[in-house]
Amino acid sequence: MMKAGPLELGDAPKSSTPKSGVNRGVSILDFILRLIAIMATLGSAIAMGTTNETLPFFTQFIRFRARYNDFPTFTFFVVANSVVCAYLVLSLALSIFHIMRSAAQGTRVVLILLDTAMLALLTAGASAAAAIVYLAHKGNTRVNWFSICQQFNSFCERISGALIGSFGGIMLFILLILLSAVALSRR
Amino acid sequence: MADSTTIDVAQGEISRSEAKGKAPLLATTHQVFSTTKAMEREDNKGGYKRGVAIFDFILRLCALTAALAATATMGTTDQTLPFFTQFFQFQASYDDIPTFQFFVIAMAIASGYLVLSMPFSVVGIVRPHAVGPKMLLITFDTVMVALTTAAAGSATAIVYLAHSGNSSANWLAICQQFNDFCQKVSGAVVASFIVVVIFMILVVFSAIGLRKH
Repeated sequence: MMKAGPLELGDAPKSSTPKSGVNRGVSILDFILRLIAIMATLGSAIAMGTTNETLPFFTQFIRFRARYNDFPTFTFFVVANSVVCAYLVLSLALSIFHIMRSAAQGTRVVLILLDTAMLALLTAGASAAAAIVYLAHKGNTRVNWFSICQQFNSFCERISGALIGSFGGIMLFILLILLSAVALSRR
Repeated sequence: MADSTTIDVAQGEISRSEAKGKAPLLATTHQVFSTTKAMEREDNKGGYKRGVAIFDFILRLCALTAALAATATMGTTDQTLPFFTQFFQFQASYDDIPTFQFFVIAMAIASGYLVLSMPFSVVGIVRPHAVGPKMLLITFDTVMVALTTAAAGSATAIVYLAHSGNSSANWLAICQQFNDFCQKVSGAVVASFIVVVIFMILVVFSAIGLRKH
């Protein structure tokens, strides 16, 4: 009867090495994706923020200098990408904490909450800038908004390229939220 | 001798069964304690998870109303001004601006998704500890956050342009002529932002429901 003790209580709980191993792998992947997202959003913010094109000729009626400042939407884009980049740098600390302690649950829910908020901010900035970039390329004859890309060629290329990093950041954020959810459900 | 052996065997069996009887009694009491504790724990955690799941379902209903309102409001914009000149268009509808077309389509997709995700939400109420429905919901809710925010953000950029214009690009504000159109469109954008906030809350609810203790 005394020796039947462990048999009664069932198997001694293992350290659940396969599950904690997968969780650790998920946390490491989360850290790497955050690093990539930092570079993507930083690149977008810098690419949009350093736009400055001046055309070499002049007439009385049309402006000949284009900067991101001239469009409030692009200012919002630069600000949103900078805020998201700063948040990602700060959340690296929480990500490292999750690598060391793979069984943490409360902090993972907090991380999901903050990641969702930043996803919304980044997507709002990227989509607003995309709408204005589309308008700059194609114009809209029904409301008499003319496309400006035919004159400001390099400005247009820059602002279109800055969108790529931002949309890449959006995909990475969706993956980050999914990874945190997977790590939560596998404890 | 046969009797003694059988008696011995029977006694041995009886003693073995007694030993088995005592040990299982202890084991069953242990098990009974542990299972009642586990059931209490499950009921408690099932309790708050069930409450979160019910709130999730109610929020999905609210998001469905807001998404349908946004789609319908944007889809029925059509204003024709009563005068005409040679140079300007005098009809404005959501069709004229591709961003607003994308808005209508995206909000329609969000409404359809919300209807389809109601059964999974109900499963989450009935079985608070099932992981499958919650993982599915959190995946698609995250994608829907991105889609709805994209629609809302791009429509906001165009609405802002319609209200204020842009002097550097020579884009004139059209809201001073198309007043009704502008108001309807702004209302639709506000409804879509409500949908965005609700989706974000739904993601956090699914995350809370995924926790295990």
